[in-house]
Formats: sequence, C-alpha cells, structure tokens
Amino acid sequence: MSEVTTQQRTPAVSAGREKRPSSTSEAAELLRATQGSVLLRGGATKLDWAGRVDEPDLLIDTSDLAGVLTHNPADMTASVGGGTRLTELQRHLKGDGQWLALDPPTAETGATVAGLLAAGDSGPSRLRYGGIRDLVIGVTLILADGTVARAGGHVIKNVAGYDLAKLVHGSLGSLAMIAEVVVRLHPRPSGALTITGTADADQATAAAVAIAAGPFEPSAVEWISQSGSGTLLVKTEGAAGYLDSSRSQLTSMLDGLGVTTRQLSDEDAETSWQEHAAAVRGEEQETVVRICTLPTRLGGLTSDALDIAAAADVEARLISSVSLGMHTVRIRGGDAQGHATAFTELRERALAQGASVLLRSRSFEVDELVDALGPPPSTVELLKRIKTQFDPAGRFAPQRFHPWY
Amino acid sequence: MSAQLVDVDHQAGVVTDELAEELRRRLTPDRIITDETRLRTFECDAITGYRVVPALVAFPETTEEVAAVVGVCAREHIPYVARGAGTGLSGGALPVAEGIVISLARMRKVLPPDVDNQRMTVEPGVTNADISKAVAAHDLYFAPDPSSQIVCTIGGNIAENSGGAHCLKYGFTTNHVYAMTLVLPDASVVTVGGDGIEQCGPDLRGAVIGSEGTLAIATSITVRLLRKPEDVQTMVADFPSAAQAGEAVSGIIAAGIVPAAVEMLDELAIEACEAAVHAGYSLDTAAALVVEIDGPAAQCEEDFDRVQEICQEAGSTHVRVAADAGERMLIWKGRKAAFAAMGRISPDYFVQDGVIPRTKLGEVLARMEEMASEAGLRVANVFHAGDGNLHPLVLYNAATEGESERGEELSTAIAELCVEMGGSITGEHGVGTDKACSMPKMFSEDDLEVMKRLRAAFDPTGISNPGKIFPTPRLCGEKPGPYREHPLEASGQIERM
Ligand SMILES: Cc1cc2nc3c(=O)[nH]c(=O)nc-3n(C[C@H](O)[C@@H](O)[C@H](O)COP(=O)(O)OP(=O)(O)OC[C@H]3O[C@@H](n4cnc5c(N)ncnc54)[C@H](O)[C@@H]3O)c2cc1C
Ligand SMILES: Cc1cc2nc3c(=O)[nH]c(=O)nc-3n(C[C@H](O)[C@H](O)[C@H](O)COP(=O)(O)OP(=O)(O)OC[C@H]3O[C@@H](n4cnc5c(N)ncnc54)[C@H](O)[C@@H]3O)c2cc1C
Repeated sequence: MSEVTTQQRTPAVSAGREKRPSSTSEAAELLRATQGSVLLRGGATKLDWAGRVDEPDLLIDTSDLAGVLTHNPADMTASVGGGTRLTELQRHLKGDGQWLALDPPTAETGATVAGLLAAGDSGPSRLRYGGIRDLVIGVTLILADGTVARAGGHVIKNVAGYDLAKLVHGSLGSLAMIAEVVVRLHPRPSGALTITGTADADQATAAAVAIAAGPFEPSAVEWISQSGSGTLLVKTEGAAGYLDSSRSQLTSMLDGLGVTTRQLSDEDAETSWQEHAAAVRGEEQETVVRICTLPTRLGGLTSDALDIAAAADVEARLISSVSLGMHTVRIRGGDAQGHATAFTELRERALAQGASVLLRSRSFEVDELVDALGPPPSTVELLKRIKTQFDPAGRFAPQRFHPWY
Repeated sequence: MSAQLVDVDHQAGVVTDELAEELRRRLTPDRIITDETRLRTFECDAITGYRVVPALVAFPETTEEVAAVVGVCAREHIPYVARGAGTGLSGGALPVAEGIVISLARMRKVLPPDVDNQRMTVEPGVTNADISKAVAAHDLYFAPDPSSQIVCTIGGNIAENSGGAHCLKYGFTTNHVYAMTLVLPDASVVTVGGDGIEQCGPDLRGAVIGSEGTLAIATSITVRLLRKPEDVQTMVADFPSAAQAGEAVSGIIAAGIVPAAVEMLDELAIEACEAAVHAGYSLDTAAALVVEIDGPAAQCEEDFDRVQEICQEAGSTHVRVAADAGERMLIWKGRKAAFAAMGRISPDYFVQDGVIPRTKLGEVLARMEEMASEAGLRVANVFHAGDGNLHPLVLYNAATEGESERGEELSTAIAELCVEMGGSITGEHGVGTDKACSMPKMFSEDDLEVMKRLRAAFDPTGISNPGKIFPTPRLCGEKPGPYREHPLEASGQIERM
C-alpha cells in the first residue's frame, strides 16, 4: 500500500512563486507586496480537502513560521508559529508531562498546528478533550492585504472580542493566514487502557451508548468496518486504580452486548492506534469523505455506504468515532465514475438525514466528475459577505469553496 | 475603515405610532410595549449604572416573529437589542435610545431530549438551570453553570459565552452547543452547526457564540448534555494567606489533576458570604479554597487524596470535606452568594471580571492591595482560581462624595492591570457597554478593525446591538482615529454615505 504523496497533493507552481516567510511580519509584507491568488501550505497533508486550488500565483509555505514561542507549564498554555508541526510541539511539551490534547491521524505525517486549525481536523480523543476548536485560545491572523490581527489571548478563560479562531476553523486557507496559535494544554494521562473486540455497526452503537451511560471518562470509542462486521477500539485514560476497575467493567459490559473483547498490552495498543490512524488517512487513489452525524446513525450510515458502493461497483470502508458521530468513509476499487457516483449518492443520502459532508482526498479523474462542495448551506450569502470583508480581492484559495464563495 | 460600515447613528429611523401598530398586527397587541412606565423595566441589565429607555419592546414567540421584528428594524434602519433575563454584567442588553428591545422571554419551549445522543433543542428564553432540570431524570445535565443560572437564559449564555465554576474541566457555552437557528440582521434565518460536530467550512456557530448579540439572535439552540459524574468530592481548605492558597492551586495543576472547580475567597468575601448564608466557612482565615473533583469513583478518590495532601503541604490550616450532597450544596451556596452578599458589608460595590495567567496571582493581589489603599477603598476577592478568572469586588459608599467615581476608576484600573499581566479584561461577563473603552488596552487598532469586518459581514448597517464591544468616540471621549479607506471602498464596491 502506498500512501498519498505531497507531490500529488500540492499543485504545480513555477519556481520563484513559492515563498517561505520566516516571521509574521515578513509574511504580512509578502502579502502586502504581491497580488493574485495565494495557497497556504503547512505540511500539505490536506491540501486537496474541499475544492481543489489549481496553480496559485503564490504558494506560501509555512515551515519557517515554526517553533514554540512560549510555553508556560504552570499555566498550561503555549504559543507556536502556525507552521509548527504537531509532533514537534508534543515533543517539546513531553518533558513537562503535558500535551496538546489532539491526536489527528495526520500528526504522524507532519500536520502543522495552523493546518489542523484551518482544516478543523481531529482524532479519536476529541471525545474527551474536545477538538482543536476547543483547545485554541488565541490566534494571530494575516489577511490578504497584509493586515495582522490578534484575537483571544494567552489565558484559558477570555470573552473579550470576537472569537476569530473559530472563524478560521474549517476555513481551509480561504479567509486568512494563521501565523500564530495559542493553545491550552492538558496533563499527560498517567496511564491508558485499550480494549478491542469484534463488533458490527449496531453492537458498536450499543457499546458507545452503554459506555456513555456508565461510570467512565472514555478517551475514544472507534470502529473500523470490515466486510460483514468490524473492529471496536475503546480507550480510557487515568490512574491505575481507575483503569483496573474500568478493565473489568468495560469487558463485562461489552461481553453482555455480544462483543468478544481482547485487552491490549501498551505496545499492542500503540500499534493498533497507529494502524487506526493509517486507516483514516487512506491510500492513494481512494476517494475519502468525512461525514458527521448523530452517533446513533452509525448503523444506517454503514448500510447506506455499503449498498451505494456495491451498486457503483466500488468498495466502501468506514472508520468511525462512534460516540462523536464522526466518520471517515474511504471509497476504493472500481473506476473514477464508480467513485464519483458512490460519493455523490452517499452525500445526498447523508445530507437528507441531517449529516454534514466534506470531500477530502480524491484523484483528479474523480474531480472531473463531481461537484466537490455540493448544495450550499443556508449560510451561503453570509459566507460570501465574510469572504468579501476578509479577502475582497479573493486571493486566498480561490477555488476552495467554489461555488459557495 | 469598515468601522464606518457599522456606524448608523446618522441614518437611524424612528419608532412611529404606525410602526408600533404594524408590529402589533404582526405579533399580537399585548406583546408590543410602548408605554413609558413599562418600558422602564427594560432600561438596564444587572449593571444598573447604565440606563437607556427604549422606544418599544417586542415579545416574539417564534423564529418567524423574531424575523418579522428584525425585518421591520432592517427596513426602517432602527437599532435593536436582544434581551434574555437581563442578568448581564456588562451592559450588553442595554437598550439603544429610540431603538427596539427584542425580548426572548416568551420563547421557552423545550423539545424532548435525545438521550442516546445526549442533546436537546430549546428556545432561547429557557433558563440555564431549567435545561439541566428537564434532563435530570436521565442523569444528564448542561455543564456551563453561571452563578446566575436560575435566572439567566441560554440565549444570554450564548451571547456571552458564559461559564461557571466548573468550566476549568468542562469548558464554556461554546463547547456545549451543537447547532443554532439564527435570525440575521437582514431578517434572514440560517442554521449554524448541525447534527454533525464538524461542518464543511468556517465555524460560524463558534464565531456567533460570545458575540454579545451583535451578530445574530439565536432562536433555537441544540445543546450538548453530559452524563452526571459517578462521584463528586468537595472540600474547603483554609490558608493563612492568599499566596499560599495560590501555591496549592499551582501544586494541584502541576500534579496533573484537572479539578472540576477551584474557587478562592478572601477574608472579606468569606465574611460577607457567612453573614448572608451561614455556609460554614471559617471566619478567621485569610483565604479559603473550594476544590471539587468529579469523575469515575476510583479516579476521583485518588485525585482527592492527592489534593488534600497538596493543600497541607502548601500550609493549609484546616480542611473540611463535604460529607454528603447536602454539605456540598451548602459550600456552593456560600460561594455562589458572594456577589449578592457584598450588600452585607458595604452599601455599594462594583463587580470586576478580569483574567490573569494563574501564576501571576500573588503579584496581582499585592498590586491590587496597593491600588485599593491608594484609592482609600476596600476590595473583596472571589476567584475562579483554576483558570485565573478574578472577581474583585470594589466596595464603596455612593453617599460619600467622590467614592463611586474612585470605585469605578479602581475597578477599571484592575481590569487593565490584568491585561498588563498578560490576561484579559473579561473572563465571562463580556465587554458590552461597560468595557468597550478598555478594548484598546487589549487589542490594537488593526485587531479591532478586523473584528469589525466580521461585524460588517453579519450586520452591514450596524443595527444589531450597536454601541457594544467596540469603543466609540461618543462613549469613550476619544478623538476619532486617522481616516483609513476600507478595502471595499478602495475597490469601488461600497461608498461612504
Ligand atoms: C513524502 C511525503 C508523503 C506524505 N504522505 C502523506 C499521506 O499519505 N497522508 C497524509 O495525510 N499526509 C502525508 N504527508 C504529510 C503532510 O504533507 C504533512 O506534512 C502536513 O504537515 C500536514 O499538513 P497540514 O495539516 O499542515 O495542512 P495542509 O495540508 O498544508 O493544509 C491544510 C489546509 O489548511 C490550509 N492552511 C495550511 N496552513 C495554513 C495557515 N498557516 N493558515 C491558514 N490556512 C492554512 C491549506 O491551504 C489547506 O487548505 C506526507 C508528507 C511527505 C513529505
Ligand atoms: C448574580 C450574578 C451572577 C453571575 N454569575 C455569572 C457567572 O458565574 N458566569 C457568567 O458567565 N456570567 C455570570 N453572570 C452574568 C450573566 O448572568 C450572564 O452573562 C448571562 O449569560 C446573561 O444571560 P441573560 O439571559 O440575563 O442575558 P441578558 O443580560 O438579557 O443579555 C446578555 C447579552 O445577550 C444578548 N442576548 C440575549 N439573548 C440573546 C439571544 N437569544 N440571541 C442573541 N443574543 C442574545 C443581549 O443582547 C446581551 O448582549 C452573573 C450575573 C449576575 C447578576
């Protein structure tokens, strides 16, 4: 299996059009001194999410806007350059027994903190700690005209002014460049317990509901579909006494639901979670769709995905954060037309049931056959006005949310 | 500068008799108030120092009715202010003269909860406490718990991004809302958020929460419900000094424990609370810490033992552990009564709400003491110590010549000291009218200008709660800044009127 390469994800730009500013002021100056379209690149793990941006006039690589700017262990906050890789930040924090409580599948491959915020990506532990939207307490943005603006601050609790960090969350580089990010940290848990088992979609849903109703603070309830059934992964973190009591309670609860469980050693758990992250990232030539819905819709979504895929002569695989109702659907095999048909139908079905859908990676051939964004949300006029206010010349990521804005 | 886009004073329309009639027809006659005495009930929020009588108050009962009232305001360029229970502590719901107040008090429907998915949809006038009450039978609750929770509304909580004593572990309103129906200032109705926790595109739900009624009116809110923790342990630890109590808090955090709540009261605050509710706090101590740990029983027990050890190591003179739910409630009753209890020890007081990095606590307390003695006033302190949110209460006597001015100056100086220390002018009460003039201490002109761009996108004509958050020359007596062209002006897409 070959993973998707950055080369494929990064559009062509002629030499000299790629810039790598090394400070916020240099980046602002660069934007002030130039015109034309701009693509912002962190580590390029998610450059093709939503609409694809082709051949920008300027590609700004954020790798030199990197580094931990401040870390106050006693206040449990840190600020970083937007281009800082999550793995680098975690390494820095580890010595103080802290971490930024995020475990996105793209961390391994070099996702940057600003890229994560811009993409709104999150991993299984969102269940316990919230997503990046919940952990960012301040941002420095650079607008397309070079204006530098801060929002939020360096304290966890703060309601002064608009929360612009939320506005750029999910904006995929279309509104402003994220130059610096201030985050709230958590203590590293003293221990963790992972239990795995074989479960179908309905059992996985029942497990998630039962776990939520029980005396646990789960850090992840994940499910990976396999033909006919699937694998359930449950994780909880804490002190030894708590993990001991959870081990037996979780096992007997899951057994009661007909899930045959297996407890994993720390090492095996680590491997399982790495495999899980790789499964979410997907493989080359796949069409990857993110669908978020009510947690109890897992069964319905799974059968829809499998049926639609079978009818289009492709395969579908789901990786689900069950308790969060967050699903990555990988469409594979078959041809581009099959991918396009399966994706379009699945999106239609999911939207009709109140879900949200984001097209992530796919091949150029599939791009030709699909409408990447789909029907506009009720906020489309508002989004257009926001874009016009923040980026009147339409410089940032022009095709990203086309035709919405 | 886009600020001009939201400065509508010169073109604001007026509420004529015909217009009031139109609204009476659109809603029902009894739900439109124009009578002077009744209008006075709406002249202020809990910051009674700012008072403005509106021209009309409307009580819509549905999203469509809210949109209808906003539609009339948009058509006539009449400023409007949404209002929940009016418990705001920053003059956020302060009416605009000649403007309309849109009270959401009649929108109090609660839809049945979705227990398995842990969420429920409610209308904006439902009180914070009623949300938890409605789902208590399912062992669920709504986590944000402002002290005013029995009265304040979820609509107000959304506007202020309210939190409470338990937000150290559980976060603020913004972390507990899945979806909202909004009426925008052009009277269009949109949905932000949804069943899914991730949306395609910018997080508009997050941008609206905490925007103090300046971007949109929320008319339906789907909140996230949490399962009640298996176990809760609460204690009060007395300390010979606030600095030592502060050290204990640092020790708890350094031990990797995230308590559900850590609150601190100083001697004056304890005196007032005890006089008011007799919650059993020691009267002879300089500072008391309330620490609450919750979660799975085994985890809770381990952490709670450790917290007691840490308090002792930091010099605690006495630790009292709540033996049962009743004792725990009493401890909280004492803490939550703090503001109201000040009346027992001072005729008047200002409530401040600043945030500092927690590690600066000792330094800030010392500076505050100096500032208070310079002003010849007393300051009582209650804090959300875990997250550095201070609520200094500046005590004064309005009957004494010059004291209220000195009190107000001291209170503002304390908020600005928080910024100097790397913190914020407000942790939960919002900027509103009260702190608009302090915003430039915390944010640069460019920061504010970019925030105003967001404002202009939602509300191009500036009719939704104008005069809040952003400093205005009229409010703050500033000279208007140098002229700057808005990018849209430069490109010829808009004109200055
Ligand atoms: C050889 C190689 C192979 C790789 N293979 C894979 C793979 O198979 N799968 C995989 O997942 N990763 C892979 N990666 C990793 C990927 O390239 C990561 O390195 C990258 O850091 C993560 O991207 P990002 O999250 O920073 O965001 P990006 O993908 O760079 O950007 C995400 C979105 O955010 C926007 N954005 C980025 N930075 C900012 C900013 N500062 N402000 C505003 N918007 C911004 C972008 O415009 C884009 O819309 C590979 C890397 C290499 C070198
Ligand atoms: C004794 C006391 C204790 C308090 N303790 C706390 C505390 O612990 N934590 C805390 O965070 N706050 C606290 N507060 C402040 C206050 O209770 C909160 O800010 C609360 O959220 C305000 O709710 P409300 O319904 O009273 O709103 P209002 O005061 O009526 O309005 C507040 C703001 O919300 C806007 N608004 C109201 N409804 C809507 C809506 N539906 N859509 C859009 N905007 C709307 C208004 O325009 C205004 O800007 C306290 C206040 C008092 C008096």
